[in-house]
Amino acid sequence: MRSLAIATLALSFSLGCSKGSTAAVDQPGSLAPVELPTDHPVLTPLPDPEMNGGHAGRAPRRISVPQLKQSILTVTGKQWTQIDNLASSLGQADFAVTVSDATEPNLVFAKFLDDGAREVCLSVARDDLNRAQDARVLWPEVPGTGRDFTVLDDATIEKNLGTLSVRFWGSPLDSTELTDWTATFKKLAARAKTINKPEQAWGSICVAMMTDPRFITY
Amino acid sequence: MKKNIALPRRTFMKAAAGFAGANLFGGLSFKAFAQASGLAPADHCFVFAYFNGGWDVLLSLDPRDPATFTAERISETRILPGYNLLSNDASFPTNVVRPAGSNIDFGPAIGRMANHFDLMSVVRGLNMATVAHEVGFRYFLTGKEPNGSAARGSTTATEIVGQMKPNVPVPNIAYNIETYNDRYPGYANALRVSSSNDLLLTLAPSPTALDSEIERELVDMHGRRISCEADLYDSRGLVTQYRESQSQMQTVLDAQLDRYFRFEDSATETPAMRAEKAALRQLYTLRPEGPNDPRSSAAARAALVATALKRGVSQCVSMNITGGLDTHFGTQLTHAQNQRAGWNALADLVTDLRASAHPSGGNFMDHTTVLVFSEFSRTPLINASGGRDHHITNSCMLLGKGIKHNTVFGKSGDVGLSAGLIDHATGLPNPGGEQILPDHVIATVMAAAGIDYSITRVEPLTGLLA
Repeated sequence: MRSLAIATLALSFSLGCSKGSTAAVDQPGSLAPVELPTDHPVLTPLPDPEMNGGHAGRAPRRISVPQLKQSILTVTGKQWTQIDNLASSLGQADFAVTVSDATEPNLVFAKFLDDGAREVCLSVARDDLNRAQDARVLWPEVPGTGRDFTVLDDATIEKNLGTLSVRFWGSPLDSTELTDWTATFKKLAARAKTINKPEQAWGSICVAMMTDPRFITY
Repeated sequence: MKKNIALPRRTFMKAAAGFAGANLFGGLSFKAFAQASGLAPADHCFVFAYFNGGWDVLLSLDPRDPATFTAERISETRILPGYNLLSNDASFPTNVVRPAGSNIDFGPAIGRMANHFDLMSVVRGLNMATVAHEVGFRYFLTGKEPNGSAARGSTTATEIVGQMKPNVPVPNIAYNIETYNDRYPGYANALRVSSSNDLLLTLAPSPTALDSEIERELVDMHGRRISCEADLYDSRGLVTQYRESQSQMQTVLDAQLDRYFRFEDSATETPAMRAEKAALRQLYTLRPEGPNDPRSSAAARAALVATALKRGVSQCVSMNITGGLDTHFGTQLTHAQNQRAGWNALADLVTDLRASAHPSGGNFMDHTTVLVFSEFSRTPLINASGGRDHHITNSCMLLGKGIKHNTVFGKSGDVGLSAGLIDHATGLPNPGGEQILPDHVIATVMAAAGIDYSITRVEPLTGLLA
C-alpha cells in the first residue's frame, strides 16, 4: 500500500514537471525505451536511484566564491565591488583559520548575494539605458531606445527573457515559467514607469535571475 | 510492485527530487516563525565562548600557589606559576584569587569573572588528547574527537538547535568560529559571520534599495518559482536549503533586527532605544576612542551575545571571544592581558544577563548555560623563549542553568599539571575513576539542556549536573 502511495505521488510529480507533449506519452506501462543512434558512443548507465538512496550521479553543488565572481562578470560585464571584502563570509577559505571552502547556501550567502545582485544589476541597467541595442546587457532583444517598457509586446518580452535565462542559467525558460515571468515583468515595468525609474524593470529581472538557485548551482 | 512503475528515469528523478526535498527540509518551516507576532527569548539559551590559541590555565582556571610552586622546586613539581612575571602591570594580583564565599581558586588573569563564582563550575584535569590547535577546538566544538584534523558530527550549538527547534529568527550564530551541521535541516545551520559588520550587513536591508512594490514582487518570485530544472538541482535538498535561507533572510529583514546591534548612539532612534543603548555602552565600556571599540572588541562581542539572547534573536551564540593566546615566545604579561580581556568581557556579559529579567521568570542567567573553553592549555613550565608551549591537560568553565554552582570538578596533578582519573559522580580524584574528556563536558551541556546526548557516546559528568 505504501509503495502504491509513493508511486502515485511520484507520478503526480512527474506529470507536473513534464514538458509539452511528453506528458501525453509517459503513461505507466506504455513507455518505449529511447533508442540511441547506432553511431552513438557507448553510455555508462546512471546508477539505479532505488539502489542509491533515491539519487543518481553526484550531488548538486553551490558555486564557490571565485566561481560566483567570474559568473557575475561573465553574465553582466560588471563586478560586484564588495565580493572580495565579503569572501570569507560567503564561504571562501582563508587558509589561516579555515582551509576548505564552505559552499552551503546559508542565510549569509543568500543575503549577501541579494545585496550583490542589486548592486550589479541596477548599475548595469542604468548603463543599458544609454546603450545601443546591440551593446545592451539586460534587454538586448528590445528594439529602440525607449525607457517605457510597458509598451513591449509579449513576444519581445519572452524573447528577451529567453535570452537572459540562457545567459544566466545556461537553459531557456520553459513555456509555463516563461508565461509566469512575462506576467511578472509587466508588473515590474508598470511600476518602474510609475516611479520613473526605468532601470528597475529589467534590473529587477536580473536580480531575480542572479538570486535564482539555477545561477548558484551546478 | 515498484519495479512495475513505468516512469522514465528522468521524470522519476524529478519527482523523487521534489519528494525528497520536501521531506528533508520540511522539519520546521521558517514561515512558522514569520507568522509569530513578535520576538520572544528562548526559554533556554546557550553561549559557547572560545579562547583562541590555547590558554594558560595557571593564570585563570587551574592556579597554583606561587609560595608552594617555587622556582627552586620545579625539578620536583614541574610547575612554575610565574605570577611574579606579571608585576609590570600592577592591576594583576600576584597570588591566587579567591573571592569571599567562593569554593573556587582562580589565577590572576581571571579579572572580574571571579565575581560570578556563585554561578559557575570549573572542570580541571581535562584530557584533550591533542596539542594541535585545530584538533583541540574542533574536539570541544563537537564533543567528538576529530578524524585527523577533520571535525566529526555537528557542533554542539547545532545539535541543541536541531533538537530544540527554538522559535527565534536566527537560532544559531557562530561569530568567527567554525560550525558544522551533519544531520539537521537548514534551520539548525549557524549564521556564520567573521565580524560584527558582517552580522549587521546580514541583518540590515540591502544598501541598494528597490521600490517597495518591486521588492514585494521579488519576494513573491522567490516564494513561487519551482521549475523542473530547479527540482533537478534539488535532488539532495540544496535548492530547498537555499530557499529556506532566502525565506529566513526575508523574515530577518522584516524584523529590522540590525537596529539592536548598532551600539553607537543615533539621533534617529527612539528615546527609549537610545537610553537602552547608552546603558549597554556604559556596562561594556564601549567607546569608539577606547578602551572597547563598539564593533570589534571582546566587550562588543559580549554585548552582541547579550543582545542576541535578550532580544529573542538567537538561542545559541558561539563566539571567538578573545585571541592572542598562542604565546610560545615573549612575556607572560601579553598572554595574561589577552586572556583577562576575554574574561572581563564574559564577566560583563554575565552581569548583564543577571540584571535582565527573563519573560518566563527569574533573570537571563537562570535560563542560560555558558561553556567557556580553549583548545588546550599551556605548559606548566616556561620555555627558553620566555613563553609556554602546548599542554594536553586543560580546564573549562560551565555557568548557569542546569549546572552546579560554586564547584570545582576534577583535578590536575601537582606534578607537571597532569590529567588524572576522576570519579564522574563526585568530581574527586579516584584511581578507579575515568579521565575527563571533552566528550563528557559536551554530554553534560546537552544533559543540562535536557536533550539527547547519545551522539557523544559517553555519559555526562553527573556530579556537575544541578
